[in-house]
Amino acid sequence: MTRLDTMDCEFPETLADALELMADDTTRGVPLSGGTDLMVQWAGGVVAAPQRVISLAGLPELKGITLKDQCVVVGAGTTHAELRASEVIQARLPALAAAAATVGAQQIQARGTIGGNVANASPAGDLAPALVITGGAVVVAGVHGERRVNLTDFFKGYRSIDLRADELIVRFELPVNPDGSREMFRKIGTRSAQAISKIMAACRIRIEDRTIRSVALAVGSVAPTVIRLTELEAWLTGRVCDEDTIAEAVRRTVSAVSPIDDIRSTAAYREWVSGSMIRGFLDAFFNAEARERR
Amino acid sequence: MAAVGTSVPRRDGREKVTGRTAYIDDMSFPGAWHGVVVRSPVAHGRLKGRHLDPAFDWSQVVVVTPEDIPGENLVHEIIKDMPLLCDDEIQYLGEPLALVAAPTKDLAREAAGYITFDIEELPSIQTLKEVIAQYKTDEGKLHKFCAQTIVKGDIEKGFEEADYIIEQEYWAGHHEQAYLEPQGLVAVPGEDGSVLIEGSMQCPYFVALELLPTLNLPPEKLRVRQAPTGGAFGGKEEFPTWLGGYVALMAMKSKRTVKLIYDRHEDIRYTTKRHPSWSRYKTGFKKDGAITAVKVEFFLDGGAYGTLSSIVLARGVLHAFIGYRCDNVFIDGRVYRTHSFPCGAFRGFGAPQAIWGLESQMDLMARACDMTPHAFRLRNAVVPGDTTATGQTLAECEACGTVLERTLEKCDFEAKLARCTRGAQDADTWYGVGLAFFAHGSAFTGDGEARFKAKAALDLALDDAERPVVLIRCSSVEMGQGAHTVLPQIVADGLCADLRFVQNPLPDTALVPNSGPTVASRTTMIVGNTLYGAGRKLKAKLEAYASARFFESQAAILKDSVFSAGHDRVDFEEVALAYLKEHGPVRVEHQYELDPKIAWNQETFEGDAYPSYSWGCNVVELEIDRATLQIEVKKVTGVFDVGRVINPMLAMGQLEGGFLQAFGYALLERIGVRNGAYDADRFQTYIIPTMLDAPPFDFEFMEYPYTFSPPGAKGIGELPIDGLSPAVANAIEMAAGIRMTEIPVTPESLFEALRKQVKS
Repeated sequence: MTRLDTMDCEFPETLADALELMADDTTRGVPLSGGTDLMVQWAGGVVAAPQRVISLAGLPELKGITLKDQCVVVGAGTTHAELRASEVIQARLPALAAAAATVGAQQIQARGTIGGNVANASPAGDLAPALVITGGAVVVAGVHGERRVNLTDFFKGYRSIDLRADELIVRFELPVNPDGSREMFRKIGTRSAQAISKIMAACRIRIEDRTIRSVALAVGSVAPTVIRLTELEAWLTGRVCDEDTIAEAVRRTVSAVSPIDDIRSTAAYREWVSGSMIRGFLDAFFNAEARERR
Repeated sequence: MAAVGTSVPRRDGREKVTGRTAYIDDMSFPGAWHGVVVRSPVAHGRLKGRHLDPAFDWSQVVVVTPEDIPGENLVHEIIKDMPLLCDDEIQYLGEPLALVAAPTKDLAREAAGYITFDIEELPSIQTLKEVIAQYKTDEGKLHKFCAQTIVKGDIEKGFEEADYIIEQEYWAGHHEQAYLEPQGLVAVPGEDGSVLIEGSMQCPYFVALELLPTLNLPPEKLRVRQAPTGGAFGGKEEFPTWLGGYVALMAMKSKRTVKLIYDRHEDIRYTTKRHPSWSRYKTGFKKDGAITAVKVEFFLDGGAYGTLSSIVLARGVLHAFIGYRCDNVFIDGRVYRTHSFPCGAFRGFGAPQAIWGLESQMDLMARACDMTPHAFRLRNAVVPGDTTATGQTLAECEACGTVLERTLEKCDFEAKLARCTRGAQDADTWYGVGLAFFAHGSAFTGDGEARFKAKAALDLALDDAERPVVLIRCSSVEMGQGAHTVLPQIVADGLCADLRFVQNPLPDTALVPNSGPTVASRTTMIVGNTLYGAGRKLKAKLEAYASARFFESQAAILKDSVFSAGHDRVDFEEVALAYLKEHGPVRVEHQYELDPKIAWNQETFEGDAYPSYSWGCNVVELEIDRATLQIEVKKVTGVFDVGRVINPMLAMGQLEGGFLQAFGYALLERIGVRNGAYDADRFQTYIIPTMLDAPPFDFEFMEYPYTFSPPGAKGIGELPIDGLSPAVANAIEMAAGIRMTEIPVTPESLFEALRKQVKS
């Protein structure tokens, strides 16, 4: 077992330097950002601690939240605390702001980053549903240049993402919640705070005249990785959001998820409650829309 | 000015809150080696051999195996069946097979990896569910550690008299103490063959006395010192004796100071938990609510060895029917083996498991005869002159009915009951309110305190600044509960001197008499009274001295730190200084005297089961979100009689802390056993409540002092963990219309139960 105090640790000062280190087998190391997942896994012996670590902390290219052409660009090194506090995120990506606020404890939020949360690729990663409903992309980089991958494609399977060994996650390009749309996020954890998800879901929806014009739905912790409910979205689009539609949406949600029994919850509960969460979203949007019409 | 009854700030508060307190792992032991425990990889098996791989350089480390044990390879607990290091039949996964000490922990761990064992694996029974399934078909195949029955009246006659009979089973799981500071001890070998053990513990004399035959040491060669202890809750009652054995053996063989500190993961996996329980209540009662028969099977999962399960069982059966009248009672208690980590002490000690079943059953009976939960309880609650299941006539139990009535009034229970949704299908949120009423026996069972003869002393001495100080000398520890504040308050009042003169150093068995283990809600009541007696003796001694020295033999009285005779007055400090100058330091010792009226038959469990009882009643209000079945406790109201309240602030802290622990037990904390190992074995998976889970607590005390033992305290430590689980289950039934019979109750278990209800 490698001890943390005998680990080789590189502190590149620019992204280019970091990518240079990552490019070569002899200089490559495990990229470490906030360390809130990795250090716990190493200390607990869940994952063998590596001999070599490349610190991404302080890389200026990975910082910052900017609004550009109806797209929020979020640096991979942005912390959960920065996400939840950002006015741009709160106004334009409210589900992401809400998700960031449920990650771990405040100490974890102060260190953990959006890039690390995605790279850790846990099926229970709190940010994933809020990210995939934007239809946005992740930009990864290697020494030979950048690659842009749709977020839904980026999460490939259980603890698996579309990232090569020599690449780093650089930023996220997340289309804003357009005017007239609403977003929601809900997480059910093992307790009221500082909890890992049993299940969480996010939704972006636009309803006009009681009709669903566009919708994006994502659920986490109910499959090997986060899932977008694309078939349900297609079915819902253009439909009047009434009780029959909602009931059918719940049925379709339950059949789309494939949860398992684990230490935090049961497959049966997760299946049922994923339907309840989708019902809750549609009910809330429907009611909000109805209020506005009044 | 009396100190008792005032909220004196915690004496250790500032040091602890500012992080300055040095716990055992913070203390410097130059040159100390580090120990690790080498454990069994199987839950049940026969150990055939052991190999030290020659690829490792063994000269750098010290390996301890059972052959190195100087005395008997046995842990001297109540049931003497557990070897310190297993050398034959392995009974649980993680059972210690060898120990390794090395200059660094990494090297010790590395060396442990080079030790291999030949083990013939044997079939195992790992959970209480398996035990009970076996019990219901063929009990003969089970290993029973101990059994205890309580018999009152004629149970068959009681059932014949009943209009209704209800039978229900109740389950409760493992429960981890989750103290902030993990287990840790250091052993320092002396050149004369002696050993000093220092560290985190509740019972210094358990370690000092129980290890003597194992280490083959005379009493004067084993000294034990408590270090500041960051929480214990029973988890550091008997376990430090085992840990002390491991660390002492390593120190004796290596002839070096050895530290053995568990990290959280090792601590959760390989230390004692609360016993899982199964109980089956069969109760008979009349249409008017009078209970005529109570039959209880109360079975505990002891884990792999008996250890102290027999006394956990004793407290369990004694609380399996308590607080109510019934002439015909039969309680059948047993502890069975499973091949899992031995279970042990945890705040409540069998009572929470028992009361979980009893107070759930009370609601079932109330509903069956169409009475409200409180009317049914008031109908049956004991009053002075009634007898308990063991035939104890309750004299001082005015509190029981009044505590219940005051709670009902305090939270307006009737109005809340009317609001309950009882499973209404048109409600988005279910609302329920639930009640539990309970007692907890204070101090050792029966005449245990008379047989134990707790002793405590006060030393009058000079402190470092040459000022007189009164030092408390007892083996009862501060472990977060407040003993180091409360005991000085009692001494100050016994002595009639200001609290500032009284100090309470950490116990060291070389310096303190044996006031007993810090357990059984006995410290404030029993040790407090013993120290109060010592305070009285020191007062008399100094009054006699002052009379001769300062008042020309006029009788002197010490009051409020001033000696007076007639109109003459001399300060406590001046008298104490003069005494010390003349006579040097002095010790006064006192021994606890149990009320001679207490009569107890340990064989038949008949008679006075406890010298006194504390009483409590709590009401839980909760909401259940229909969309997720998440259970949110909105408020807990409670009223408690713990006798004289010595320090209201600390007593309230005991209640709130205990209730939060009970909250986790009822709703969150779950451990399964898979392939012999706990499936929740770190704080990522073992879910304890946070501040945001904690509901508002609205608590108050009603004081009915224990008149036999001034200043009149009864037990408080365990009472708050006894009654929340059944109140939660009772509230859930009022909310969701379904009876939950296994704790913790989770959204998942509620979902499963509701689904079954719909199917049937």
